Amino acid sequence: MTLIAALGVLVASAAYAAGRAGYASSSWADRAYWLGQALVLAPAAGRLLSRRRLTPTDTATLVVVLTVAEYLLKVCYSPAGFTFTDELLHWRSTVNILDTGKLFTVNYGLPISPRYPGLEEATSALISVTGLPVFAAGLIIAGTAHLLFICLLYLTYRCLSRSHRIAGIAILVYSCTPTLNSFDSMFVYETLALAFLGLAVLASWRTATGQSGGERARWFVLAVLAIFATVVTHHVTSYMLAGSLLLVTVASLLTRARRTALMVGALAVISVAAITCWVIYIAPGTLSYFRPTVEGLAQGISALQSGGSSGAASTSAAPRGNQVLEGAAILAITVLVPLGWWQVRKHHRHHPWILAMALGSLGWFVALALRVGTPDGQELAGRTATFVYIPVSLVAGLALIRLVNAALVRRWKSAAIGVAAAGMLVLLFDGLANGWPPYWERLPGPHQVAGFERSVGPEEIATAQWTLSALGPGGRFAADIGIYPLLAGYGDQNPLQDVGYLYTSATYTPAIAQAARAQAVQYVLVDQRLSQSLPASGTYFPGDTTAPNQPIPIADLTKFNRVRGVSRLYDSGDIVVYNLQGAQVAP
Amino acid sequence: MRRNQADVIAAGAVATAGCVALYAHLPAAVIVVLGLGLFVAPGYVWSKVFLSASTRGLERVAVITGLALMVPVLGGLILYAAKIPLHRAAWVGLLAVVTLTGTMVALATQGRTDEPRGRREQAERRRRPTWHAVYFGVAAAIAAVAVGIAVYSANAQRYPGYTQLWLSPLRNNPVSASLGVTNQQGSTTQYRLVLLRKGRVSATWNLTLTDGQTWQHTVSFTDRYAIAADLYRLPDLSHPYRNVDNGE
Repeated sequence: MTLIAALGVLVASAAYAAGRAGYASSSWADRAYWLGQALVLAPAAGRLLSRRRLTPTDTATLVVVLTVAEYLLKVCYSPAGFTFTDELLHWRSTVNILDTGKLFTVNYGLPISPRYPGLEEATSALISVTGLPVFAAGLIIAGTAHLLFICLLYLTYRCLSRSHRIAGIAILVYSCTPTLNSFDSMFVYETLALAFLGLAVLASWRTATGQSGGERARWFVLAVLAIFATVVTHHVTSYMLAGSLLLVTVASLLTRARRTALMVGALAVISVAAITCWVIYIAPGTLSYFRPTVEGLAQGISALQSGGSSGAASTSAAPRGNQVLEGAAILAITVLVPLGWWQVRKHHRHHPWILAMALGSLGWFVALALRVGTPDGQELAGRTATFVYIPVSLVAGLALIRLVNAALVRRWKSAAIGVAAAGMLVLLFDGLANGWPPYWERLPGPHQVAGFERSVGPEEIATAQWTLSALGPGGRFAADIGIYPLLAGYGDQNPLQDVGYLYTSATYTPAIAQAARAQAVQYVLVDQRLSQSLPASGTYFPGDTTAPNQPIPIADLTKFNRVRGVSRLYDSGDIVVYNLQGAQVAP
Repeated sequence: MRRNQADVIAAGAVATAGCVALYAHLPAAVIVVLGLGLFVAPGYVWSKVFLSASTRGLERVAVITGLALMVPVLGGLILYAAKIPLHRAAWVGLLAVVTLTGTMVALATQGRTDEPRGRREQAERRRRPTWHAVYFGVAAAIAAVAVGIAVYSANAQRYPGYTQLWLSPLRNNPVSASLGVTNQQGSTTQYRLVLLRKGRVSATWNLTLTDGQTWQHTVSFTDRYAIAADLYRLPDLSHPYRNVDNGE
């Protein structure tokens, strides 16, 4: 099994190499990538679902192999440096700590992240004691944290269900989370916080079920430490942890599990208190950071209640195959969750933790409502999937194991397992196809205009580094969405949102100059390739909401050459940097 | 000395060796290995404090790893609150102190948490067949080749060559500017750089830059008259290849 998974990694890595060699758009390279993924996923899914007896060690090994193989594929996608937006921003925070020796420094691209410095602290410590570069240390920390989270989740499922088989299947379902192999394994703060969340939950379970007072006390201390580490590392994860502990407390009260209610209730109170103190004294900006999301959510819900349109964007412009996979996966989970509830009611209704999981799995339907009912609901539902899938996976795992073991299908054992494995593969492939990177950057390849990973190349990196060395940090930049994270990361600049107006007229009018002054724009970065193709991501500039239907005319991009007082500071052929501060425009 | 005391002491020794290695200017590979040992050591020794001997296998490894990651996160905050800059010495000191403290606490409390291994546990720890290890070794080698292919192909990926030209006022001395050229064309390239003041040639440089080489010069700068720099890529002297100016 491990050998086949390793071969899968090799095949997918070869597909990535083909992409870099100029075959990113070829169908055979794409098929090779999916073949590699199938070699990683199919044997593990088949083995975990099969009725052939697995030892606990076998199941744990399968879980570890699956996680490591997928992480290696993530490494193979960007093996030379961070390319994803948030990774570049955390790279900046880490370098700031290494350079200054201080926490809570300014990060222009993600101002909230220095207030949650756990990831950067761990990485800085590793760099300091090993001498490794930030990229290598970041990969080690993120990879270790990701694997740790999955292992802790498996252990928690195993403790709750008292079955390593159910736990293995639940992990298989969790592997369908679209964000698991991207946001949850990248060098971003959530990746590390999830590991601490996992440890806090497992330690809470042990606190409530420990054999002796001493053992319970030690696990309690461990749980408190893990809670503090989560709070320090990532905002949303700490809220989810507090919510989970509160949910278990409620479920314990409902099932009259007094010790669990007391212990977990105390941990829930501690986590709420820690979050409150952290937000008040260290990270007050958290509230304003979430305000747009909360307001968008409220508007969407309000519009739905009044019977009008929520203004939700269309689901996606993804290929038909991706949409079919997505629909099938949603349908499968939507069917499995109620079946799981039935299993919980039948066999586990006095188990406070499993009851809490069943209650938590209601989040699946809330996420579905968000998806269709609110603006940006698709992205919001995607980001919450990391947490929603935790209870959903166990509940769906209970349903799946019941289906596979059912007397009716026992007669057609092989066929039933085959159908279950095929269904599971649909879920797993949906997680990959509709996860990250998007389908148009599935394989690495040549530069794409206003994309994500494929907008990161040597010229863009060199330009970002030049801005820092020549202009110093914190310059207020107008730039397109492709180079935006590099300016904030390697450049330590302050790239701005909603700057499209600077690029979409043939002349630099007084109105544009006035708007630029109001935004205090200092520099404009012009990538002349914006005139050559439409934006891969759908929009050219950060904050844009409408998709252009034709490339920007070159005259709109070069107009700054003709404005008196606008100096042309830098020219690398494709990219030009202008200094707007001396612009002289007649009113 | 019991085995589980020996490993705690060994963890303390690894941490100490890691500290020494950092200040003894040992080869980078040795520092990496011992540094990783120093990073993990706090988690290992404190797991001995927190966990009873009955906690084994994956759960023990998970707690060790979780604790190892937690130490710099929470310890870094304490150092910062104590106004200790988070440079190498602080991190090394933190990890070493936490490890050695944990070693002492573990040694003092181990009798309490130590329990004899059950027959079943011992059976579970029976050696797995050798061919398992061989398969894992081969799989690891294949995975290493996969990563190697990725690294090689990323480094070999062809991007269009480019040349950077800049003219930017110095931050600490705005009457001077940095005029520079970096060649990233992929091969040695010849340029002619012409500096113009009020439209007249003020200076000319013929440059031959190897791939990755930078040429830089400080020139006097003002915004009272036009300053421009045109870079020609030889042999084409009819069209500037790159150009920058002060906007006047």
